[in-house]
Amino acid sequence: MKTFEYADDQISDKEIMIATPSVVIGVSVLSLPRTLTSPTNGMDGVIALGVAGLFVIALTWLVAKLAVQFPHENFYSYASSLIPKPAASMFTMLFAVYGLLTTAYETRVIADVAEQYLFTRTPFGVIALTFLLVVIYAVSGSRAGLFRLHMMFFPFIVLIILTLVLFTSGLFDPDNLFPVLTTGAGNQWPAFIGSTFSFMGFAPLLFYTSLVKKPRNVPKKAAIGMSIAVTLYMVIAVMSIGAFGNLTAGNLQYPTVELAKDVEIPGGFFERFETVFFVIWIMTIFNTTIMFLDMAVFAMNQLFTKISKMQLIFICSPFIYMAGMIPKNNEDVDALGTFISMYGFTVVILIVALFFIARKWKRGKKQ
Amino acid sequence: MGLGSLFKRKDKQPSKQEPTIEFDAELKANLDQNLETLEIMLEKPNDLVIRPFSLGSQDHRCAVVYIDGLVDKQEINNNILKNLQYYAEEQELPTNSHALLDEIESDLVSIGDVSKGKTLDELSFALLYGSAILYVDGVDQALMFDLKGWEMRAIEEPVTESLIRGPREGFIENLRTNMILIRRHIRDPNLRFKTYQIGRRSKKNLVVTYIEGVIHPDIVKEVNRRLKTIDLDDAPESGYVEEWIEDSFLSPFPQLANTERPDRVATSLLQGKIAIMLDGTPFVLVAPVTLGNMLQSPEDYYERWLIGTFLRFLRYGGAFLAMFLPSLYIALVSYNPGLIPAKLAFSIAATREGVPFPAAIEAFIMAFTMELLREAGARLPKTIGQTIGIVGGLVIGDAAVQAGIVSPIMVIVVAVTAIASFAIPSYSATISFRLIRFGFMLAASFLGLYGVILVYIMINIHIVNLKSIGVPYSSPFAPSFFHDWKDLVLRTPVTMRTRRPAYMQTVDKKSRNKEKS
Repeated sequence: MKTFEYADDQISDKEIMIATPSVVIGVSVLSLPRTLTSPTNGMDGVIALGVAGLFVIALTWLVAKLAVQFPHENFYSYASSLIPKPAASMFTMLFAVYGLLTTAYETRVIADVAEQYLFTRTPFGVIALTFLLVVIYAVSGSRAGLFRLHMMFFPFIVLIILTLVLFTSGLFDPDNLFPVLTTGAGNQWPAFIGSTFSFMGFAPLLFYTSLVKKPRNVPKKAAIGMSIAVTLYMVIAVMSIGAFGNLTAGNLQYPTVELAKDVEIPGGFFERFETVFFVIWIMTIFNTTIMFLDMAVFAMNQLFTKISKMQLIFICSPFIYMAGMIPKNNEDVDALGTFISMYGFTVVILIVALFFIARKWKRGKKQ
Repeated sequence: MGLGSLFKRKDKQPSKQEPTIEFDAELKANLDQNLETLEIMLEKPNDLVIRPFSLGSQDHRCAVVYIDGLVDKQEINNNILKNLQYYAEEQELPTNSHALLDEIESDLVSIGDVSKGKTLDELSFALLYGSAILYVDGVDQALMFDLKGWEMRAIEEPVTESLIRGPREGFIENLRTNMILIRRHIRDPNLRFKTYQIGRRSKKNLVVTYIEGVIHPDIVKEVNRRLKTIDLDDAPESGYVEEWIEDSFLSPFPQLANTERPDRVATSLLQGKIAIMLDGTPFVLVAPVTLGNMLQSPEDYYERWLIGTFLRFLRYGGAFLAMFLPSLYIALVSYNPGLIPAKLAFSIAATREGVPFPAAIEAFIMAFTMELLREAGARLPKTIGQTIGIVGGLVIGDAAVQAGIVSPIMVIVVAVTAIASFAIPSYSATISFRLIRFGFMLAASFLGLYGVILVYIMINIHIVNLKSIGVPYSSPFAPSFFHDWKDLVLRTPVTMRTRRPAYMQTVDKKSRNKEKS
């Protein structure tokens, strides 16, 4: 007789499939159409987005493939089996920092956007603090619980995006999409980089694959999950460009929220849909944030085995809050976002390349 | 540790049942001495009946002892006393007292449930639980006849869970009757009843019911383990047991369901759940339960599936309103009036004209009054209960609006919330929803919609970490068991539901074999 299978440190590959897009979709969607359209003409940015999407799906698959090679083994332990121990600790720490920085960034953006669209009088320090406290509450729970949260909130996210698309289809003007293919490769490059960065969120795979009960299918499921995110992004990008036109979309701070502003639900019950959109979007950003904070704690726990998870959370959280409050204005926040994406991207690429080479080399040595 | 240990489940030690006075003494061979000890122990209550008599030509001295009112007197008279006296006249009795006792046990009395007791503890427990005891002089043993026969309530329609269509019988305070009510629903030989004794002093019987071969064995084991830790003087209601064995005592959500309906218990048993029945209460506990179970009523299954599904949707809507409506009102009126359609916003503003309080205070006043009315209505005698409805609902509501203390729209909001909360079939769930509503209102008054969504997220965090006897409370939503979604928000036709809930991990997965039929 098998034992009751709800062990709290195990998840299923199905949960990975949902968690991947749920982590990826976050703050970056709000400004995605701007990132795409400002350097390009017409809907050419969408092409860059598609290419970036394919690239990211492949990358996700690779990352998961790498992690699957070491089933039920945590990141630090398989890292130190491939590369020297100090290097492994350094990379684990880099991921921890990445997680903490992302948490700080997301908290800051939540506060900014909430101030812009929900409140006018409430100081954003308070908004950020309450959000961070809820995130900490989530992370203090079980890891399996976090994945269950992803499962619970993801349907809302898909639903709100579909509503957004459905009810703005009246604004969609095909003329706005043209001209096509007039942007040179040099201008496509920033759009490509920007979209790649907006898909950042596959780093947690390196850590959480070790928790999966039957990890064999994780790369496939993660790739499927990522394609869900890519599809949703494409839809949003096409809709925003179609509705606003290239120029307008490129000059709005958060074009996706502006798109939500134009939603008109028949019956006139929701006067301002963007508030509802944003309120639901808090769940999305929350999902991203818990995963990154937990990844940071998870990584640090592997290094400092003596310190308990709760202690780590309590030590880190003041720093997260302060880091989030540092940027002075929107440009600073954007710069921080770009920096974090670049940093995370570099670390992941480096790890993947390094590990595959190390693995090849070790195998070669054995033979 | 400190605060941390508060959140962990307290380590329970096995109970040490130590009665204050040691009555473990063995019986003596002398009748008078035995009777005297018994009298001293109970301090001669006036409902203790001792009927001495002598038997046969050798004049064996005997005594029947029982507590008046706990036993069936007719049975004692007809099947013990009459028999014994009759046979003593008719036939030769053995001279040896031990042989006589055996003879009485095997031949002379016409009682089904007879056993021998040796210690005073054993005898006193039997005596106080509706047995008659027969002492024979010269033997250090006594016979115990189980003749429970006290007054009890007839089987009636359950008061707390009324259905339009469905069986009308409900559990009563008598454990034995309750067990039979379940047996009448399930005639499976694998239906198990395991008896425990709860309470140091009350020594109440508690019966755990499940179907072997359906339920996952770990659930039985876990429930057993937890029940064994119970250390109470008395458990007057199954709520005591519930609170003792639940997974998290900090949670507002009920982690064990309670019901008065045998049909509901039977259905749950067939889904691989376990039921806990306590003597003296009609409320039977059912575990494990999940979030979805709170919004299900047996009637969903008794009506046709379309109706059942419609009712479920209605109830989910009701649960949403019960939790969110007042907080949404607060958030929209005081923080985001722009979200309300212009015309409605104007009419709300117009009705709020002259109301001296901000929306949050207004909502709290009304919600508090509503809770007060409900509580008063529940406590009052039934005949006056309706008065509260009229005085509270009509007079106060109308007068408050007339006096300009609250706006009419607020009265509507509170009334709709109250009605919506009563649409939730489980009373315990209703209470927890109402409790959570205050959390939402508080958050809405400080942080508006943002606060509402944060509290909603927090409740979700709580739910995904909560368990009921080891089963995640959020299943089958997450961890997802898509097959179980057929009977969650939807209630699909009975022919489509061929499996027991997957989240229960039952041993016997199929509830119906499609191939056979």
